[in-house]
Amino acid sequence: MSSRHTRSLTGWGIANLVVVLYALFPVWWIVALSFKDPSTLSDGDFVPRQWTLANYRGIFETSEFTRALVNSIGIAVIATTIAVVLGTMAAYAVARLRFPGKRLLIGVSLLIAMFPPISLVSPLFDIERALGLFDTWAGLIIPYMTFSLPLAIYTLSAFFREIPWDLEKAAKVDGATPWQAFRLVIAPLAAPGVFTTGILVFIFCWNDFLFAISLTSTTSARTVPAAIAFFTGSSQFEQPTGSIAAAAVIITIPIVIFVLLFQRRIVAGLTAGAVKG
Amino acid sequence: MTPSTEAAAAAVPKAAGPSRGARQERRLGLLLCAPAVIVMLAVTAYPIGYAVYLSLQRYDLRFPDQAHWVGLANYGAVLTSSFWWQALGVTVLITVVSVAVELVLGLALALVMHRTIFGRGTVRTAVLVPYGIVTVVAAYSWQYAWTPGTGYLAALLPEGSAPLTEQWPAIGLIILAEVWKTTPFMALLLLAGLALVPDETVRAAMVDGASFGQRLRLVILPLMKPAILVALLFRTLDAFRIFDNIYVLTGGSNGTGSVSILGYDNLFTALNLGIGSAISVLIFVCVALIALAFVKLFGAATPGAEPEHR
Amino acid sequence: MPSVPDFRSRWASAAAGLAVLASALVGCGDGGSTGPVTLNWYNFPDDSGALQQAADRCGQQSGGRYTIHYNKLPRGADGQRQQLVRRMAAHDADVDVLGLDVTWPAEFAEAGWIREWTGEMRERATTDTLDAAVRTATWRDRLYAVPYNSNTQLLWYRDDLVPTPPRTWAEMLSRAQELADQGKPHFVEIQGAQYEGLTVWFNTLVTSAGGTILTPDAQAPSLGAPAVTAAGVMHDLATSVAADPSLPNQMEDQNRLAMESGTAAFELNYPFVYPSMKANQPELFPHFRWAPYPAVSADRPASVTIGGIDLAVGSYSRHPDLAAEATLCLRDRDNQLTNALKGGLPPSLRSLYETAELTTSYPFAADVLAALDSASVRPQTPAYQNVSIAISHTLSPPADIHPEKDVADLRGQIEDALGSKGLIP
Repeated sequence: MSSRHTRSLTGWGIANLVVVLYALFPVWWIVALSFKDPSTLSDGDFVPRQWTLANYRGIFETSEFTRALVNSIGIAVIATTIAVVLGTMAAYAVARLRFPGKRLLIGVSLLIAMFPPISLVSPLFDIERALGLFDTWAGLIIPYMTFSLPLAIYTLSAFFREIPWDLEKAAKVDGATPWQAFRLVIAPLAAPGVFTTGILVFIFCWNDFLFAISLTSTTSARTVPAAIAFFTGSSQFEQPTGSIAAAAVIITIPIVIFVLLFQRRIVAGLTAGAVKG
Repeated sequence: MTPSTEAAAAAVPKAAGPSRGARQERRLGLLLCAPAVIVMLAVTAYPIGYAVYLSLQRYDLRFPDQAHWVGLANYGAVLTSSFWWQALGVTVLITVVSVAVELVLGLALALVMHRTIFGRGTVRTAVLVPYGIVTVVAAYSWQYAWTPGTGYLAALLPEGSAPLTEQWPAIGLIILAEVWKTTPFMALLLLAGLALVPDETVRAAMVDGASFGQRLRLVILPLMKPAILVALLFRTLDAFRIFDNIYVLTGGSNGTGSVSILGYDNLFTALNLGIGSAISVLIFVCVALIALAFVKLFGAATPGAEPEHR
Repeated sequence: MPSVPDFRSRWASAAAGLAVLASALVGCGDGGSTGPVTLNWYNFPDDSGALQQAADRCGQQSGGRYTIHYNKLPRGADGQRQQLVRRMAAHDADVDVLGLDVTWPAEFAEAGWIREWTGEMRERATTDTLDAAVRTATWRDRLYAVPYNSNTQLLWYRDDLVPTPPRTWAEMLSRAQELADQGKPHFVEIQGAQYEGLTVWFNTLVTSAGGTILTPDAQAPSLGAPAVTAAGVMHDLATSVAADPSLPNQMEDQNRLAMESGTAAFELNYPFVYPSMKANQPELFPHFRWAPYPAVSADRPASVTIGGIDLAVGSYSRHPDLAAEATLCLRDRDNQLTNALKGGLPPSLRSLYETAELTTSYPFAADVLAALDSASVRPQTPAYQNVSIAISHTLSPPADIHPEKDVADLRGQIEDALGSKGLIP
C-alpha cells in the first residue's frame, strides 16, 4: 500500500516537475536577461555570469514606470470586476431564463469578439477625443470591458448551463433560505466558471497593447505594455532589452499573485454533505 | 403523466397568452442582459459600422477629401492579390497546428493541475505564468533565444543556422512561441471543465473496471464537452488573428506574415483605409465561418440555443 | 440592511463619478488663458536629458511668452508615425511641434498636416545647415520642416584583422574571404532584415552607383543599370562567406551585438556603435576603427543615405508663430551641441563639426561631415512608405536576389506604390 502511495507520489512529483519546467524554462530566460549587464547580453548564457541590478534600478529611476504599474493595476481590476459582474448577470439570464433575443445576444457578442481590433482603434480614438475620455482610465476601462464581455458571457453561460439548478429547489425544500441555498449550493458550483473568467479577463486587460498605445498619450493613463514601447536604450537603435526584461519580470508578479489567489476557487463544486443529490 | 395528457394540460394555459410568470421571467432576463448589451453596442456599433463603411470606399487617410465610393472594388482587389492568399495560407496553417497541439497539451496540463496530489497551487500558478507575461516581451525573449550567437536555443542547432530567417523553420518557431504562450488559456478552461465532472461518476467507472484511457474517453471528455468547445472556439478565433508573435519574431518577412499583419500594414503603414478595412472585414468573415463551423458541425451548443433543462 | 448609509454612499459615488467626468472634460480644454502658452512638442523618447533640457532652456529664453512641454513618442519610428498620423488626421490642435523622421515631411506636407516655412523664417532655418538635411525637409521646392539632428553610416572595422580599410565593396568582400581562409572572424555586418534599413542600404548603393530610385519629379521609378549593380552588390555579399547567417533578420542593433561579440571584421552602421563598444568591450575597443563607407566602383565615392529628424509645426496648432520660434530655438547651436554630446546624435549645423567640444567626443566627426556633405536622400514622395515596403519586400532575403529580374519587378511595384494602388505585402 505504502509503496503504491510512494510510487504515485513520485509519479505526480515528476509530472509536476515536467509541467513547471515547461512553463517556466523560457520565463527563466527573461529573468536572466533582466539581470545581465548590457555588455554580456549577447553572450547567450542561460545563467548570467555577471549579475547586476542596474536594469531594475533604471526602470524605477523615473516615476513613469511606477505610474504605468498603478495605471495597469487599477484599470485591470476595475475592468475585470465590471466585466465579470455584467457577464455573470447576462450569462445567468441566458442559461436559466427564457426571453426573446437570446440567440441574437450570443450571436452579436461573438461578432464583437471576432472583429479585428486594428480597424476599431481609429474610430474609438475619434470618439474618445470627442467625449474627453482620451488618455483617461475610463477611456481604457470601457473598451476592455466591451471586448472581454463576449468571452465572459460565453464562458459563464456554458458553465451555468451545467449547474443542476434543481439542487437549489431541493435545498429550499430542505429548509434553507434563498440566500443559504444560493451560498451553499449554487455559488460553489458557479465559482469555477466565475473565477476562471475573472483570471482570463484580468490577463486580457493586463496584456493588451493595441488599445493602450492608441488611446493614451501621457503617463496619466498609459499602462505597462504601452510604457515598455517608450523605454529607450542608450541610443535610438539600441533595444533596451535589459530594461524590457526587468519590466516584464516586475509586471508578472501581480499576475502571479492574482492567479495564486483565484486558482484556489477552481475546484470541484459540490461541497461534501451540504446537499444530498 | 403521458406525453399527450401533459401536452394537453400545457396547451390550455398557453392558449390564454403568456402567463404572468413567463412575462416576469422575460422581463428579468432582458433586464439582466441589458447592461452588458448596452455597453457592447454603445462602444462597438459605430466603430464596426464605420469600418464596414470604409471598406466600401477608396480612402487614403492623407487625402480625406478624395475619398469616394467604390462599392466592392476593394474586396476584389484583396481577393485577387497573391499577398492575401499567401497570408491566409500561413494563417490557416498556424491556426490548425497550434490549436491542435494546444488542445492535447492543454488537456494534459489540466489533468495534472486537477489531479496532482501535492503542490497544486504552485503547479497551477506556474502553468498560468506564460499566459500572464506580456506577449511582446515573450516574443522578444524567443527572438533572442533563437538568434545564433546570442541565444541559448540557437546554440543547440547546427552551426550557422538561423531558423528565424527561413520560412518553414520560422513558422515552426512562431507556432512554438504561440503554443507556449496560450496553452494555459486552454488548460485553464479545461481545468474548470474538469472541476465540473462529478467525482462519483468517475469513481463509479473505475469501480466498473474502466482503464484510465477508457475513463478519459467515455466519461470525462463527454462531460467536459461544453468546456472543450468554448476553449476550442475562442482559441481558434484568437489563433486566426495572431499578430504580436509574428510581428516581433520575423516582422512578417520571408513569407511568414499573417492576415492580421497584412491588415495592419495596409491600414497603419500605407494609410489605405479602404483596403485595410476590407481586409479586416474579410478576416471577420473568415472567423465567423469558423465559429459557424463549430456551432453546426461540432454541435457547440451556443448557450441559450437549446431549451434549458429544468 | 441599513438603508441610510447605502443612500449616502450611493450619492457619494454618483457625485464622485460626476466629478471625475467633469474633470476629464475640463482637462481636455485649453490650459487656461492666464500665464504663458504651453507648446506641445512630440518627439522620439530620449532618456539622456538632452531634449528635456532643450525644452526648458527655450521656455526660459522666451521671456515668459511660452513654455515647451516635451511629450514622448514610442521608441520605434513606426510607432511614432502612427501616433502622429492619427492625431493629425484628427486635426489635433494640441500638437504644436512634431519631430519627424527625414522620410516623412513629403507625406505630412502633401496631407496638409505641417506648415510651410517662408521668408525670413526659412532663411533662419536653413543658415549653416547641411544641404542634404535641408533637402529632406523640402517638398516641391517648399520648406516644410527644419533639420534637427542628422545621421549617417560609416564603415567600422577591426584594425587587428584589417590593417588598412577597404575602399570598395569588392575589396571588402575579398578581404573577408582572405580572413575566412585564415580562420579569423570575417563577417560583414549590415542590416539585411525586411524593413526600412534594407531600403536604406539599397538607396545608398543605387546612388553610389550613380543612379536614383525615382525620377526627379518623383512621379515614376528611375532605377536602371545602377539599380541592377546595386542589387548585384547585395546579392554578392549575401551569398559570400562574409554574410552573417542571421543577415536576413538583422537590424542595426543586432549588427552592433555581433560586432561586439567578436565574430565580425567589418560593420556598416551608425556612430552609436562607438560609445557602445567603448563601454561594453574595452578589450576590442582599441582596435575599433572607422573609415568612409565603401564605394561601389573605384572611380566614384559612396553617397550614403542621410538619416535624422526634422522638426515641423503642426497645421492645426493654435499658436503657429510661437511654435515656429520655439522650433528654431530647439534646434539652435547650443541645443544641438547638447544633443550631440549627451544624446549622441550628429548635429545638422555645419559649424558645429569644427568645434573642439564635438571633435573630442566624436573623433570621427570629420568623416561624418564628409559623408553628410555627399549624402543622398531617400525617394521623396508622399507614398514613401509604400515605395519602401515594395523595395524591402522584393529584395528580401538578400541571398535570393536576382538583380535583373528583381529590378524589373520593383519597377512595376513602385509604379503601383506611387499610385497607392493595390495591397502592400
